[in-house]
Amino acid sequence: MDFDIASILAIDGLASGAIYVLIAIGTVLIFTVTRVVFIPFGDIAAFTALTLAALEMGRLPGTAGLVVVLAGMATLVEVVALLRNGRAHEIPGALLYYLALPLALVGVVWLSEPLYQSSMVLRILFSLILILPIAPLLDRIVYRPIADASVLMLLIVSMALHFALVGLGLLFFGPEGVRTEPMTDAIFEFGSIMITGQAALIMFAAVLFSGLLYLFFDFTLIGKSLRATAVNRSGARLMGIRPERSGTIAYIVGSLMAGVSGILIAPVNTMFYDSGFLLGLRAFVGAIIGGLVSYPGTAIGSLFVGVLESFASFQSSAFKDVIVFSLLIPILIWRSIVSVHTEEHDEE
Amino acid sequence: MRRSLLLAATLLSGVVSTTFAHADIKVGFVTSLSGNGASIGIPYSKGIKAGQQYQSEVGGEKITVIELDDGADPSAATRNARKLVEEDKVDILIGTATAPSTIAMMAVAKELRVPMIAISPVKLDEGDGSNQWGVTMPQPPALMASVIADRMVRDGEKRIGYIGFADAWGDLVYEGAKAAEEAGKIEVLTNERYTRTDTSVTGQILKVLASKPDAVLLGGSATQGALPPLELAKRGYKGELYGLAALVNADFIRVGGKAVEGVKVSTGPIIVAEQLPEEHFAKKISMEFRDAYQKANGEPTTDGFSAYSFDAWVILVDAAERALKAEQPGTPAFREALKEEIFKGDEVAGVHGVYNFRKGNSYGVDERSLVVVKLVDGKWTYEP
Amino acid sequence: MSRFTLRLAVLIAVLALVGAPFLLGAFTITLMNYVGIYALVAIGLALLTGVGGLVSFGQAAFVGLAAYSSAWVTALNGGSPWIGLLLGIVITCAVAFILGLITLRLQGHYLSLSTIAWGLAIGFLFGNVEGLGKHNGIASIPPISIGSVSLVESWQIYYLIWAVVCVVLLLVYNLLDSRIGRAMRALRGGNTLVESLGINVFWIKVTCFVFAAFLAALSGWLYAHLSRFISPTPFEPLMGIEYLMMAMVGGAGSPIGGVIGAAIVTLLKNFVQDYLHYIIPSGTGQLEVVAYAGLFIVFLQYARGGVVAWVQQYLPATAIPRPSQATPLARRDKPAAGTPLLKVDQAERRFGGLIAVNKVSFDVNAGEILGLIGPNGAGKSTMFNLLTGALQTNSGSITFAGKDITRTRQSNIAQAGIARTFQHVKLRPKMTLLDNVMLGAYPRTHTGLFSGLFRLNRAEEASARYDALQQLERVGLGDKPFELAGNLPLGNQRILEIARALAADPVLLVLDEPAAGLRRGEKQQLAALLKSLRDNDKLTILLVEHDMEFVMGLVDRLVVMDFGEKLIEGQPEAVREDPRVQEAYLGGTA
Repeated sequence: MDFDIASILAIDGLASGAIYVLIAIGTVLIFTVTRVVFIPFGDIAAFTALTLAALEMGRLPGTAGLVVVLAGMATLVEVVALLRNGRAHEIPGALLYYLALPLALVGVVWLSEPLYQSSMVLRILFSLILILPIAPLLDRIVYRPIADASVLMLLIVSMALHFALVGLGLLFFGPEGVRTEPMTDAIFEFGSIMITGQAALIMFAAVLFSGLLYLFFDFTLIGKSLRATAVNRSGARLMGIRPERSGTIAYIVGSLMAGVSGILIAPVNTMFYDSGFLLGLRAFVGAIIGGLVSYPGTAIGSLFVGVLESFASFQSSAFKDVIVFSLLIPILIWRSIVSVHTEEHDEE
Repeated sequence: MRRSLLLAATLLSGVVSTTFAHADIKVGFVTSLSGNGASIGIPYSKGIKAGQQYQSEVGGEKITVIELDDGADPSAATRNARKLVEEDKVDILIGTATAPSTIAMMAVAKELRVPMIAISPVKLDEGDGSNQWGVTMPQPPALMASVIADRMVRDGEKRIGYIGFADAWGDLVYEGAKAAEEAGKIEVLTNERYTRTDTSVTGQILKVLASKPDAVLLGGSATQGALPPLELAKRGYKGELYGLAALVNADFIRVGGKAVEGVKVSTGPIIVAEQLPEEHFAKKISMEFRDAYQKANGEPTTDGFSAYSFDAWVILVDAAERALKAEQPGTPAFREALKEEIFKGDEVAGVHGVYNFRKGNSYGVDERSLVVVKLVDGKWTYEP
Repeated sequence: MSRFTLRLAVLIAVLALVGAPFLLGAFTITLMNYVGIYALVAIGLALLTGVGGLVSFGQAAFVGLAAYSSAWVTALNGGSPWIGLLLGIVITCAVAFILGLITLRLQGHYLSLSTIAWGLAIGFLFGNVEGLGKHNGIASIPPISIGSVSLVESWQIYYLIWAVVCVVLLLVYNLLDSRIGRAMRALRGGNTLVESLGINVFWIKVTCFVFAAFLAALSGWLYAHLSRFISPTPFEPLMGIEYLMMAMVGGAGSPIGGVIGAAIVTLLKNFVQDYLHYIIPSGTGQLEVVAYAGLFIVFLQYARGGVVAWVQQYLPATAIPRPSQATPLARRDKPAAGTPLLKVDQAERRFGGLIAVNKVSFDVNAGEILGLIGPNGAGKSTMFNLLTGALQTNSGSITFAGKDITRTRQSNIAQAGIARTFQHVKLRPKMTLLDNVMLGAYPRTHTGLFSGLFRLNRAEEASARYDALQQLERVGLGDKPFELAGNLPLGNQRILEIARALAADPVLLVLDEPAAGLRRGEKQQLAALLKSLRDNDKLTILLVEHDMEFVMGLVDRLVVMDFGEKLIEGQPEAVREDPRVQEAYLGGTA
């Protein structure tokens, strides 16, 4: 391997890593706020890519159907729960929030077909609009009823949810993969190093959105309430912050990050209805390097996974995944040693 | 607790085994409607529907199909095959979308003595064929590779880089290429692999390019098969591209765009049926297949996979016609007769090839089943 | 439910299993074969996850290791399946042992995540290693032969599979009711208690892990020779997740739950496949997995404990006879009264900048009751943790019975004869009083894994059981030995901890606030008990206590700590009169 190849691999790895950064940060956000390891996050990214591709081809994407189905289920679950608790007067609000709002979003996209034919920016915007309701609706349907369960139980539920989403993805998007039009054809050259515009865009977006998230946490009230919920759920509740609401916001913000990564990856790689799993899993490795709490750690970890993967695929492509996932074990041991004081939290 | 389980099992089997005897010919069809074989499995399913549309009766007996999904999991394929034979008493098995699942089904077919038509390219070691219950529809990858290797030789390409899927298909193509290497036709320089869900093949492509190949052989399929050509184009590769039938797919062309222009593929004649000369064996039946497919599925054909399951139907109908003269469907004797008749089929023309299945060999096609086609302006063109 | 009904139910179940092939359709038997094979893995997971609290997503990799080993021996090298079995078990257990050594020290969800990691890594290996058929798999695996009978037909291997399942169930229930099994059951809920009982937590975890892998290996071997074809797909992590689902549906923690879970998941899939297309005619293949995953999520939302726990609440409890008299366990020789037993010399412990224990020295002599008192935050509990090995000293030394134990592992200190109770009660609420106390007898008994599995431990088990009952009677909890510990009021839970400590036959008993939460009369009974232990059993007792009245009437000497330092030591009366103690501890007003 000479310097040229190494630099190509490094840049390619950093671009993949930047994608993982976005997904991993969303994963960490949701984990800290709700204790859910949201495995289907990769699926959200893949679905965004498929949505964008469908819009490009002038079709109403399967996401619309998915949102309608989920909105219906969430409304049903919510209404039944309200009736049971004798809070029937809250039903109109629930209908507005869980049914009318998502359907309105779908409606907007459906009605504005002539618009998205013409503009890529609008297509990207509509893809994000369509993808945002999915995770919060899933939260309502799947996780809210078992919010007090152990992290492990929630993890297992996440796995099952991932299976269900992959099935729904196949139903709504079909088995074939998609690849969207490149956003830019620019190529930058620095001496012998060549960076494609798309790779630069991915890295720029990762930095931009990580930065925005930081500002959101530090300078907005909602961001601060999310952080408060993450640190101490019952304490936050005492301060008038509803953990459910924080959860919903976390899912929306996280979905935005995953959605952006899906948009960015769609032109460089073919996305399938089931591409999300390995994508999410590799991002998850990055999140674990950050200990599932530290955002800078997560970002570094995800970039590291991307670069490692890139070099591993050059050295021995068949064993690439073996290498990436084997590496997780020493990382876990290191993380476990770093966070030794957890013993008493395990008790009973 | 075990009792309640048994009770449940008994109830279940009671409910499902309330099938009454009739003389329909029952076809047990397993395919991957979900899982990572779905992009091939769903066309297979549509091909069977086209077959039903094409000919739904033989010798006055209706042919019914029971379709089950295996999710590309060999355990599920095995269970499905057993279910179809033991519960639904099917007369013949057809399946499935992935090679491992097909091999697994074939073992069941042999054990339970039911004829089986494999629609994935699996090579079965049948010895003298005295206890052979299965045949394989597609052209053997080795034959495909050999045809395309001949074309490479004709084109003057010698040093070949290989990149393919890290799965059974990728293995088969590589083995085919190695066989051509041993025959002294070409030289295979690399064996790079990627998975269907990979986000990038940069590392693999750099390695292929580092070996300075004359041409690159692609061992992928469908959409994701376009990933290496795209990366090759990005890295400035100007040489020829070759591939096998699995690349013949609308999404491969759509996704690959300019990068896959000019790729040469060895595939069944159905792909270029319209361009075939009138006297070609596949011309007439291909047109009929196109019509039946359109009627059954409400869309035009776009791939070569559905044609394999359609050809399986053709073989089934051909053999059943003769077997019905001797035996009643739904009996072991009919299954035995059906199997024997499959091996007696003579020059049965399908849309992919002319089939002559004989005991001792699971494949039944020859060079006639393969043509070389080239992608020109997004269309496959016949290159005799 | 009496023992008789239980046995009758088991007998009927076994007879039903034997009769099944004559009664049920061929495909039902095929399904039962898969249920049995999956059940073996699920039983291992019930043990590993439900009992031991170690969640593994990677069992499918172990199944694969054994399946590939046996396929390699038989299909590729023409060997006998029995050699395949042997190789499969050896390889699987060896890999599990090495992975266990590396990963089982990980905490909580780090451990589970590591199982995903090696599960994926091993899963990817199967399709990529040369000489194992790659992604096409290995075909023509011969059937298993017993003598001259070759198990080709479904119903033939059915008997082998279910015989293995039944034997495994029997063995696992034996194991859970043995010394090692109790230690495994104690794993859930934190290591501190388990180590303090003289149990080496790490080795118990490794044992549990390797045993679960062994069951997965049996399953893999049977799978390879049932389907006679293997490829990487069934051993990928997705299947590992499904195994976990089976264990959870059945009710993690219950071996029979593993069998039930495997049956429910397998039959549910078949049911969905059979009937879904009546409801939704098109796209059923895609929807099967959705329906199946959806049903699973609903199940977890409404019956988190699993089927077994759900059924059990409607079944009458099994009546177990009280343990009968048995040969007593050997007792330790106690040192002569008055000889120095424990020597703490300049012990120091810091937490960051805070000095919790600052160069404290004191002695405990055999046969005395020494009270350690001081206001809140004086460092008493830290001191306790130092001398039981739950925490390490930063400097200074601790000597017990002439041996330096400053750096000794907690479980070894416990084995040397120091037994303790905790300020915040640490019990296993889901275990019975008797089982909780029997945990204490762990260092006095010696039954290993194999004796436990095959019930070769009956005499020792009876002795330990009887000993535990005696301890319960002694502390006044002997009337309901089979009550669950979690059902006791808090005061009695403290007393139960003392019984557990006594079951270890300790030389030194270390009690952390034993009288907290007790009523006046109960305190008097406790004081009487402790005195009797000192006088009749020659036990040495060190206790931390807040209740001055209780302490003053009980102890022989007092050590007073304040702000991490030793203030004074001496006779209770002298300490009571000391102005420094009144100043610091009693606020100068007593």
